[in-house]
Amino acid sequence: MTFDVRLRLNERVATIELVGELDASSAGRFHDTIDEAAAAGSIELVIRAEKLEYMSSAGLRSLVFARQKMGDDVRIAIVGATEPVAHTIRLAGFDHSIDLIDA
Amino acid sequence: MLQTNVLLLDEHRSAPPELLKALDSVGAVVRIRTPADVLVVQHGQLPTTEVLLAYAGLSPHTVRAVARRLDDEGQRPTVVAFAEHDLHLLGSHIHAGSDYLVPPFYPDLVRARLRDCHERANFSRTMEDVTARAELLSYERELEIGREIQMGFLPESLPNPDGWEINVRFRPARTVAGDFYDVFELVNNRRLALVVADVCDKGVGAALFMALIRSLLRHTAEQSGLQSLIAADLLGEDAGWREQSRAIPVVGATPLLNAVVGTNNYLTRNHIRQGYFATMFFGVLDPLTGNLVYINGGHNPPVLVSGEGKDPVLLEPTGPAVGVIPDGTFSLGYAQIGPGDTLFVYTDGVTEARSMSGRFFGDDQLLTELARAAVRGEELLDHMDGVLSEFVGPSEQSDDITMMAVHWRLPGERRDGRRVPRRDHGQDDH
Repeated sequence: MTFDVRLRLNERVATIELVGELDASSAGRFHDTIDEAAAAGSIELVIRAEKLEYMSSAGLRSLVFARQKMGDDVRIAIVGATEPVAHTIRLAGFDHSIDLIDA
Repeated sequence: MLQTNVLLLDEHRSAPPELLKALDSVGAVVRIRTPADVLVVQHGQLPTTEVLLAYAGLSPHTVRAVARRLDDEGQRPTVVAFAEHDLHLLGSHIHAGSDYLVPPFYPDLVRARLRDCHERANFSRTMEDVTARAELLSYERELEIGREIQMGFLPESLPNPDGWEINVRFRPARTVAGDFYDVFELVNNRRLALVVADVCDKGVGAALFMALIRSLLRHTAEQSGLQSLIAADLLGEDAGWREQSRAIPVVGATPLLNAVVGTNNYLTRNHIRQGYFATMFFGVLDPLTGNLVYINGGHNPPVLVSGEGKDPVLLEPTGPAVGVIPDGTFSLGYAQIGPGDTLFVYTDGVTEARSMSGRFFGDDQLLTELARAAVRGEELLDHMDGVLSEFVGPSEQSDDITMMAVHWRLPGERRDGRRVPRRDHGQDDH
């Protein structure tokens, strides 16, 4: 199962692109990237999820982790989540603390 | 005799000819390097080395650095210092734990010394293996103890109210699990609490939080509710709820709300940094009427399977996952279980089970299979078990799987699910 994560930093906006499957085995890499984004002092975190096919509960936990790390003032948006991923996020009720945005 | 790989260490890449001749005649493979050669070489590029033969003129410190470098690559050579004339140089090396080799370098003597080194190296490797295995065993034992302790956080047996059958399948993917279930009596045995929950993530962390969350839920539910059997006061501002509360008696709603809201507050107050949360279905059942009041905290919707072939009813979330959102809002849901119906509660290990080709079992297939199965509890679980293992095939189970079936028997339905035949049918009942 493949997973890739890429971080771009500009104008104090951190963009993390997720590709493949975010689960217990890949969440660690996502955590590290969130740490990097937080360390850069970004004021907004955009997660591009167009190519994220699956998110397990470990992946949801990463989003909680991101919320913690970035602080309450930072807006976190997930852009272009596929239906299964958006469903997982909505089911857990996380769409209240993280914005789900169509691409 | 086994071929011995010797790494000869000398600042000038030279060695006494007698020594080289002896090594050659005993079949040792000798590579001569300076300490710097070894230290700068890239990872994985060092030759296999059983014996590190170091000229005694090098400092023990340098020799140790080279030995450590070989250690890093998983090699554990025996360190042997040699000298040709300046035998006094050997002292500090022997002091540092090295073996030694001195002239005359007769093949027989060198061979004997190399054999000693070889055996010692083998022995120490065996010792390391034994230690590593012992360590692994002790971890496994600890994990096994963890598993046993965790099993103690699941109910020893399930209550058995008149006319009802409650069955559970619990299949952890690893030794310890993040899933759990619970069934216990509430409100002076007038109500039955039904809990199925899934702590996010896997392994020991999830297992620790499982123990905490299960205890908070059960303790709070058991300790509350006696002071006020009806939760109307708590929810006085919710007009919609008042509507329903008039229609359906909500004894048991107080312990339910207290348990879920209390657990959410506790987790968000004390553990939010750790980022663990649980999705859960917590239902309170009146076994006399089949009335069910529930909170679904971000959990896969349980399915109410009709005994009369009506469309299944999904008990959708009434609040977020528990433990993430401070002051999260949880409302009550209501359902009516009728005689012959079965409530099927499960965790995402079911819908996210994967086939060999990586396909997910999915919500649609779940509903299809539930419709196809006999509605009775045990048979329904058997059916789902069979369908899931066929779907997954030989792939490894990747997530904990928990399924609970709560079935209200039809009047006349026996415990094994068959109808008691009427006398006029003239059949045996077996």
